[in-house]
Amino acid sequence: MNRLIKIDFRKYYHNRTFWVLSALYVVLVVFVFMGIESFLNHVVSNVGKNSQVAIPNFSLYSFPYVWQNLAYVAGFFKIFLALIVIIFVTNEYSYKTIRQNVMSGMSRVEFLFSKVIFVLFISLGVTLVLFLSAMLLGFAHTGHITTALVFGKMFFVPAYFLEVFAFLLMAMLFAFVLQKQGLSIAIFALYYYVLEPIIAFKLPDNVAHFLPLKMIAHLIDVPNSSLMKIFGVNFRETVSWMDIWGCLGYSVLFIVLVYLFLKNRDL
Amino acid sequence: MEIRNLSKSYGRLKALDSLSLTVEKGSIFGILGPNGSGKTTTLGILLDIIKADSGEHLWFGQRPSSASRKRIGALLEQPLFYPYLTAEQNLKVVADIRGAAYNEIDDVLEMVSLRDKKLYKYSTFSLGMKQRLAIAAAMLGKPEVLIFDEPTNGLDPKGIADIRNLILEVAKQGFTIILASHLLDEVEKVCTHVLVLEKGKKRYAGPVNEALGGALIMEVAANDTEKLQAALSKIQAVKSATKQNGMFVLTVDEDLLPESLNKLLTEQGVYLSHLVVRTKSLEKYFLELLSESHE
Repeated sequence: MNRLIKIDFRKYYHNRTFWVLSALYVVLVVFVFMGIESFLNHVVSNVGKNSQVAIPNFSLYSFPYVWQNLAYVAGFFKIFLALIVIIFVTNEYSYKTIRQNVMSGMSRVEFLFSKVIFVLFISLGVTLVLFLSAMLLGFAHTGHITTALVFGKMFFVPAYFLEVFAFLLMAMLFAFVLQKQGLSIAIFALYYYVLEPIIAFKLPDNVAHFLPLKMIAHLIDVPNSSLMKIFGVNFRETVSWMDIWGCLGYSVLFIVLVYLFLKNRDL
Repeated sequence: MEIRNLSKSYGRLKALDSLSLTVEKGSIFGILGPNGSGKTTTLGILLDIIKADSGEHLWFGQRPSSASRKRIGALLEQPLFYPYLTAEQNLKVVADIRGAAYNEIDDVLEMVSLRDKKLYKYSTFSLGMKQRLAIAAAMLGKPEVLIFDEPTNGLDPKGIADIRNLILEVAKQGFTIILASHLLDEVEKVCTHVLVLEKGKKRYAGPVNEALGGALIMEVAANDTEKLQAALSKIQAVKSATKQNGMFVLTVDEDLLPESLNKLLTEQGVYLSHLVVRTKSLEKYFLELLSESHE
């Protein structure tokens, strides 16, 4: 395990692309976290100018709602992380270093796990970014802070971790199978934005719910706001066990599929 | 290392047709064959990056595993490294994989004379330097077996000479070496055993000197050609004599020394103007072998 971390760490630590993309992601997400509240308020107040009911300004940052709000927003940017995973898995094929690694004495399973560890680290990293951002914004914007308020809905943080982890494993699967960088990115994006939505649309709802991206996205539902309550819409404020098991199941499935794919293949 | 009935096809093309082979510890084993004869496929299977359709192979008397691969250093076809890492960082990745100590890195870089380049990025290396770095990587972790597949491919004459000297030097240090090449000269100079492959089939496997056969070749010429020919026909150790460019190319018994041939001819009153001993080259043998199979 330590050895695998060490081997893979060196591959990214000295790579400029990795740091540029990671920094870009963190800057982007933190900016969005900080700007989203005033942006939404601005949009809503513009739309509601002629409304007879006074539309209240809402706060996204107060405990305990900040956890779900920011986790939901951060979910939009996970495609960016998938890009990093795809780039680094397909690099091993384009440099043929997967060959060199196996020749030098890594087993195929070890190679696969070194990439799962990579995905795990990225997921942990971005979860930490979410945790710190939400913590700081929460403390700055909540009037009366109690422990129960802070920790009340913190389970959205591990839920976000699972969301990213399962999603990135899926990206990893695409990269291992397709091997070419451009192709993997294109097909994965196509599946994410076009194919699965179409499939989901054609299938009955109770079946479509089990599609991988649907399941992953369903983990953290759209946050309720006071505005939505006015309209009588009520989204889930919890994470369902079925979604958790579904995402875990898909994670295992993606890893097993890569294993089966690698096991008997020429490199 | 032992191979039993290894076969591999790519679609309809049979790359390897039930090949069996044993390589003993300490031997320097050459694999010869024209392009596409299955050399790289064989080595790829031995290194577990190509999966055989059938058959099996053993390393060190055991079923192959990632642990056995750590005892083998290999350079297959082309050097493969991370272009954005320096030579040293690349070797550290290999050292981590093989469980080798980092202090070996300077030693192996020294051997391939790249030590002063260790902080340069791999992407800035010339092909010759990349090839030498790959040999350095193969020697990390003190492997017992070294596998070199076409190590001089694509190099300029200076690079070829460098790599050849390097292999000769490594060979002296007692490694078991498997060397695939179509440069026969290379194989002939360093190898103790040789395997000749053609279209995935074994054409010959055994010691190099057996491949070369028990005969010697000599070239002789004299001013009086007819007298020379008559004299040669009386010497029993001379098996055949063919006239070529005004001289005779002889196939003689192995134990016939050039000085005794000279003496025998002098006794018959023939004085040589030209006498050269030619060893039968592997190249010649190789071409013979392959042309036989085409007949």
